[in-house]
Amino acid sequence: VPFELLCSHPLPVSAFLKSRARFYACRVCAGKRRNGDYVSVINTVDTSHEDMIHDAQMDYYGTRLATCSSDRSVKIFDVRNGGQILIADLRGHEGPVWQVAWAHPMYGNILASCSYDRKVIIWKEENGTWEKTHEHTGHDSSVNSVCWAPHDYGLILACGSSDGAISLLTYTGEGQWDVKKINNAHTIGCNAVSWAPAVVPGSLIDQPSGQKPNYIKKFASGGCDNLIKLWKEEEDGQWKEEQKLEAHSDWVRDVAWAPSIGLPTSTIASCSQDGRVFIWTCDDASSNTWSPKLLHKFNDVVWHVSWSITANILAVSGGDNKVTLWKESVDGQWVCISDVNKGQGSVSASVTEGQQNEQ
Amino acid sequence: MKLKEVDRTAMQAWSPAQNHPIYLATGTSAQQLDATFSTNASLEIFELDLSDPSLDMKSCATFSSSHRYHKLIWGPHKMDSKGNISGVLIAGGENGNIILYDPSKIIAGDKEVVIAQNDKHTGPVRALDVNIFQTNLVASGANESEIYIWDLNNFATPMTPGAKTQPLEDISCIAWNRQVQHILASASPSGRATVWDLRKNEPIIKVSDHNNRMHCSGLAWHPEVATQMVLASEDDRLPVVQVWDLRFASTPLRVLENHARGILAIAWSMADPELLLSCGKDAKILCSNPNTGEVLYELPTNTQWCFDIQWCPRNPAVLSAASFDGRISVYSIMGGSTDGLRQKQADKLSSSFGNLDPFGTGQPLPPLQIPQQAAQHSIVLPLKKPPKWIRRPVGASFSFGGKLVTFENVKVQSQQGAELQQHVFISQVVTEKEFLSRSDQLQQVVQSQGFVNYCQKKIDASQSDFEKHVWSFLKVNFEDDSRGKYLQLLGYSKEDLGKKHIKEEKQESEFLPSAGGPFNISISGDIDGLITQALLTGNFESAVDLCLHDNRMADAIILAIAGGQELLARTQKKYFAKSQSKITRLITAVVMKNWKEIVESCDLKNWREALAAVLTYAKPDEFSALCDLLGTRLESEGDSLLQTQACLCYICAGNVEKLVACWTKAQDGNNPLSLQDLIEKVVILRKAVQLTQAMDTNTVGVLLAEKMSQYANLLAAQGSIAAALAFLPESTNQPNIVQLRDRLRRAQGEPVPGQESPQVPYERQQLPKGRPGPIADQTQIPRVPTQQYYPHGENPPPPGFLMHGNVNPNVAAAQLSTSPGHMHTQVPPYPQPQRPQNGWNDPPALNRVPKKKKMPENFMPPVPITSPIMNPMGDPQSQMLQQPSAPGPLSNQPSFPQPHLSGGQPSFHGLQQPLGQPGMPPSFSKPNIEGAPGGPIGNTIQHVQALPAEKITKKPIPDEHLILKTTFEDLIQRCLSSATDPQTKRKLDDANKRLEFLYDKLREQTLSPTIINGLHNIARSIETRNYSEGLTIHTHIVSTSNFSETSAFMPVLKVVLTQANKLGV
Repeated sequence: VPFELLCSHPLPVSAFLKSRARFYACRVCAGKRRNGDYVSVINTVDTSHEDMIHDAQMDYYGTRLATCSSDRSVKIFDVRNGGQILIADLRGHEGPVWQVAWAHPMYGNILASCSYDRKVIIWKEENGTWEKTHEHTGHDSSVNSVCWAPHDYGLILACGSSDGAISLLTYTGEGQWDVKKINNAHTIGCNAVSWAPAVVPGSLIDQPSGQKPNYIKKFASGGCDNLIKLWKEEEDGQWKEEQKLEAHSDWVRDVAWAPSIGLPTSTIASCSQDGRVFIWTCDDASSNTWSPKLLHKFNDVVWHVSWSITANILAVSGGDNKVTLWKESVDGQWVCISDVNKGQGSVSASVTEGQQNEQ
Repeated sequence: MKLKEVDRTAMQAWSPAQNHPIYLATGTSAQQLDATFSTNASLEIFELDLSDPSLDMKSCATFSSSHRYHKLIWGPHKMDSKGNISGVLIAGGENGNIILYDPSKIIAGDKEVVIAQNDKHTGPVRALDVNIFQTNLVASGANESEIYIWDLNNFATPMTPGAKTQPLEDISCIAWNRQVQHILASASPSGRATVWDLRKNEPIIKVSDHNNRMHCSGLAWHPEVATQMVLASEDDRLPVVQVWDLRFASTPLRVLENHARGILAIAWSMADPELLLSCGKDAKILCSNPNTGEVLYELPTNTQWCFDIQWCPRNPAVLSAASFDGRISVYSIMGGSTDGLRQKQADKLSSSFGNLDPFGTGQPLPPLQIPQQAAQHSIVLPLKKPPKWIRRPVGASFSFGGKLVTFENVKVQSQQGAELQQHVFISQVVTEKEFLSRSDQLQQVVQSQGFVNYCQKKIDASQSDFEKHVWSFLKVNFEDDSRGKYLQLLGYSKEDLGKKHIKEEKQESEFLPSAGGPFNISISGDIDGLITQALLTGNFESAVDLCLHDNRMADAIILAIAGGQELLARTQKKYFAKSQSKITRLITAVVMKNWKEIVESCDLKNWREALAAVLTYAKPDEFSALCDLLGTRLESEGDSLLQTQACLCYICAGNVEKLVACWTKAQDGNNPLSLQDLIEKVVILRKAVQLTQAMDTNTVGVLLAEKMSQYANLLAAQGSIAAALAFLPESTNQPNIVQLRDRLRRAQGEPVPGQESPQVPYERQQLPKGRPGPIADQTQIPRVPTQQYYPHGENPPPPGFLMHGNVNPNVAAAQLSTSPGHMHTQVPPYPQPQRPQNGWNDPPALNRVPKKKKMPENFMPPVPITSPIMNPMGDPQSQMLQQPSAPGPLSNQPSFPQPHLSGGQPSFHGLQQPLGQPGMPPSFSKPNIEGAPGGPIGNTIQHVQALPAEKITKKPIPDEHLILKTTFEDLIQRCLSSATDPQTKRKLDDANKRLEFLYDKLREQTLSPTIINGLHNIARSIETRNYSEGLTIHTHIVSTSNFSETSAFMPVLKVVLTQANKLGV
């Protein structure tokens, strides 16, 4: 295996430490990393998109990768065992495709994509071929975000659009989708939607058998009105704004509701054009009071936040093409543990330290 | 889409980008009069509140001014990030005056809002611009070619950029370069534009086309390209926007001819250089790409001209336009529907009239009909091309298995110029290295069975006494005479006791009545005589009564022994009723074998003693329950210290589930390392239980299952998918675990074999719109493809794997727990040995057989010391030692019939029984395997019934691999015949049986070719009697193959090879 050196320090070969990947760092550099190398590139996928990539999402198992681009296409790759096999090149959008979202595999292999062309397309695989199964044209402007509800609720897709509305598509069987629309959810545009994990009040075991679980469906949205809004489905099936979370001073670019890890606390991460990332927590579901904690103020727009499956690490993607990983320390402070410089598969400590001092 | 409007005929200025919230300042326009012909002037500040859906703008402040304005700009001078100072408003007046206002004072309602003013200019000041690099520098232009540069820190004396241009003319526009801070451009209605270099203090270039019809109404620099600028013409004969590049200043680079009549204003977006706004006398507001000339957007406007247009610096999608009809409108270029807005307005109107029946007519108002024109405009399309600011350039998303998917859009210089590299990176994120290494160690221990060493290491490394205790207790499980060792740990050495005991016995023997001498039988009338009479008549009962009456306890007891069990028992009872010494209760309990009494009523401070008593006396069948009971008491009644000690009781009891519960209570379960702490103990304890108790402990309780799956999740999140699979409980039908296992298997990248494993552990069924019907129906519905939403093209999973946890996992779980039919839904329809062996929780079949190790099932407690003298069997020690040699049914599990376990047979065959959950101790019986009668009957039942037939027919070993079986068996036979000591023979016998796993795998043809090849190589080396080579090959196979695939037979093979080598057969 050819190996690459990440620095040009004149050191004997014996002084090099092997990192997990095929990259080697010398002791000088390794020593600078405060927390060791947490991140190593295990697969580089050349998507051959002809324009900017806007989203890349793995499926439920982490074996397939869906990407979308300004070149109006959606691509699906098999990335098992470090390989990359193009499974599908999906054409159907007439504008840049912003996001893709995998449905839970219990419903089959289903992917949703949303685009500047105001459309949401739902693709599905049947007999090994990917095809368009539904096209949602209910928005008047760019659809910026799609997110599937927890699978426990059925097949429900939330879509946030620049027309300010959020639509909810519910599969009702036989190819039919029911549409509910929340108009004017965010003036001049909704940028992100993220569902709350399916949590039944009370323990799972306590549920009397035969009774349907008493799920309360909720999701969060963020928009150009600088607000994060929490929406809740009422008993009559209508969606109602439950809460406004105000802390950002510019467009909210992304919201991410943390996966449930069995604790009563709910957590949402939000990021904004203003460079701030907030962690919102609600300890008491009944009082429904959310308190923000500033994770960090970056110098540039923050585009995306993503929780790890175990909800203990937050990946933050910024406008300076930098990805940082954050972890909550024992004393409740958020600490940057890694600064992912993808192209090199390495981490650099200098930026991180600077950011730490700022806080 | 129109967002806001305000009725003013005014010049406008947005607050700087730094400012939050966003304000719009308006100053009464000097050049337009409204219909009232009013000459009053005012400066107003509005807030752009997008969370308010109405079209109204919130007015923050109004300041009545004596000036009307030709130009208004808002600079960020002296602004700080906290917004304490809101910059400065700079206004160009009618009479050569420039006025500086403090917007924060205006908002605060101060009277003194003017910071400074200066009327050095001649004529109206129409042109103003703030330098974006040095925000204290403001350029202004007025009549007679006057251009001044003002320093806001020293406002009194302006500078000039150079000598006035000739001929003298009005300056209509002025703009600082966006890239180079000392470059300034000015333009005049004559069509001439001049570029100034402030360092040289002179004009460096004059830009003009030579047709003289340009009438400059707008000038703007390219936001990114330093040498480019645009000029707009107000002349109806030449209604164009010219794009100039100063490197080629003789002719415009491009001419945008999109307007039909003269252009009144332009604005170039700072957020996206491809967006240039222009408004003209054709009443259009256009957004074009000045780099291509294409019109991207036409704003839906009324028929009025707009004379001023501005991008909002902070919100790039927002712009404002001031029109001659006396209105300032705020638009979004992102399109959208105005229906919501208008409806809200209508609602607002209605609501202010009260409850829709304002006139009390009894008839509500008819719904408001929005005029047709509005309806036409209700849907506004967005820009043709997406603006730069919504094109996400970077992203990082987590996915299963601790993977991070990232992408960036980096331009890479190549021979063809700048090229985008469209790569997506998949990275592994590992944050818990210590956790992983400890998990590795644990796995290795499970593999190598080196439990004692492991426990010892843990004891040595223990930080706390309690931790040390726990590990010591766990270690004892793997040693001989575990109960004795437990006692030692509790501070009671059996040997010491034994010595004392023997001493006492000796003493006693000295006091035995001498057998020889004659003795006197008295039959007098006193008590002695009466007793004698009773004895002589064989009336023990009376004799005992008499003794008791006379308080001759010892005599009474001795007589009672002779009088038989019943009498003895009665006598004991009477004795205890009379006796009141401190240890009576203990003696009572010991004699009456009522350990429960001790455990239930002892002072919890004496829990050690109670546990010691239980360890000493309790029979195997009640031992666990008693330890449990004590543990439960400690847990529920004791203080926090005692609560943790309950763990020790549970370890003695082998009650994994309760250990988990107790431990979890005391520890923070969310820290991976503390979970690791727990799992280490649990895994070891389970191993111990499997070793020492010949029963199926393969079943996992609810709580343990939850912890194990939490653990597996953590491992998976660190990328250790294989480890996660190894630790995930095998035989549980809890939906979340079944789902996790499936997810892990697939994440491993292995295509799950279609026939043997579930496709997806969810039943793919369509999602009914309504709620599912009765549960019984739901779970019994056969998988009819038409009912499925996306019928999977491949083979349906075997019915046994159908999960019902899809729509309603809780219901499914509950179902599974109550119907016997579902009890088997997760039992694989193939014989157990096919499964990977030696997972942490797999039943170690071989270990069930009593080996050299002394096991508790063979443990007979000492007979209570009711009759230390008369016991014909001798002392309890010797009795105990005699026991292990006695074969026979395992008497310690009387309540759980386990016929298949008798006679020391390898017990794994028990698992093959269709009702594969044989009895378990009460502490292990979990709701999910408790059968309930009357469960629904469906295809799952039929499947189970069909099972035995499947099992009976074992496939033959393929011919080409038969040689393996014959070679191995032959070798074992040879070893057996030359082995001398019974221990080796036993080992070889075991090996012979365990190799059956291998043969089964050969039958099923599930082994990978590499392993098969390796095995053949070993067979060949056996044939040449080169066992050391065989061992080398063996090591190679083990190190290169999947552990779970080979763990069932490779260790055995090693034993055989080693023995063969040793024996030299």
